[in-house]
Amino acid sequence: MRHVAIRPLTEPVLLILLSLADRPRHGYALMKDIETLSNGRVRLSTGTLYGALRRLLEDDWIEPFAQEDASREKQAYKLTPVGRKQLELELDRMKQLTRAAGIRLRAKEA
Amino acid sequence: MMRIYKTLLRLYPADYNSQFAAEMLAAFQKAAVENRKRGRAIFVRFAIAEFTGLAAGAASEWIAKLTTDKSVRGRRLPDLRMMRPVGVPRELWFAAAGADLRRRPAPDDVSQLQTRVALLVSRMTEAIARRDHERARALSYQERMKRQNLRLLRQKPAREE
Repeated sequence: MRHVAIRPLTEPVLLILLSLADRPRHGYALMKDIETLSNGRVRLSTGTLYGALRRLLEDDWIEPFAQEDASREKQAYKLTPVGRKQLELELDRMKQLTRAAGIRLRAKEA
Repeated sequence: MMRIYKTLLRLYPADYNSQFAAEMLAAFQKAAVENRKRGRAIFVRFAIAEFTGLAAGAASEWIAKLTTDKSVRGRRLPDLRMMRPVGVPRELWFAAAGADLRRRPAPDDVSQLQTRVALLVSRMTEAIARRDHERARALSYQERMKRQNLRLLRQKPAREE
């Protein structure tokens, strides 16, 4: 494996990976989907989005998606198996944290 | 608006721009149209976020570029002069490149001869100043020979073609 997530993912990276989990998307579609996923709380600027995409491409977590409409303006990206694994690891980490937090809160109330 | 965005895009490293500038511009165009419809205040907020995001992004891309080994990240544009032109067979291109390298004189040889010529000229001047005409003639002959060698060395690629 090229890159092991030893630190939690940043919110933009997590949202990008989540957005690409079901199907490939290009830049603007990612921006829109991330806004929907976060209930309008997160609006990524193009600078932030493409900075994150560049790092994800370098780490092989995502890859360009070959499509018939191959114009440079509408390059779509898709998750690689490595990226999907990282997303699953992050979601597992969050689930474990949520479980632990739930137990602590219930103990306090009791 | 688009002009400002395009200008700010130029702040990014060239390799980043060649890969993402067209996509970023297209995404920004669509987002700008949509945010304009939402109202003036939202549009102004969107524009500020975009421009500051772009400036910050350019700075972080330069830091990433300058602090990352190019052999690891390959963060350099390809040298177009080294690329085989379309239609030229692979064997022919690399055979020519190899032959060119063999023909070209080593820079060390040229610079050594240049140094030698300068030294001979200096000694010849000293000999003339001392009125040692015999030595000056000998040095002059040596200098001519060296200059001729230098000329031949520089003409070498053209002569062998």
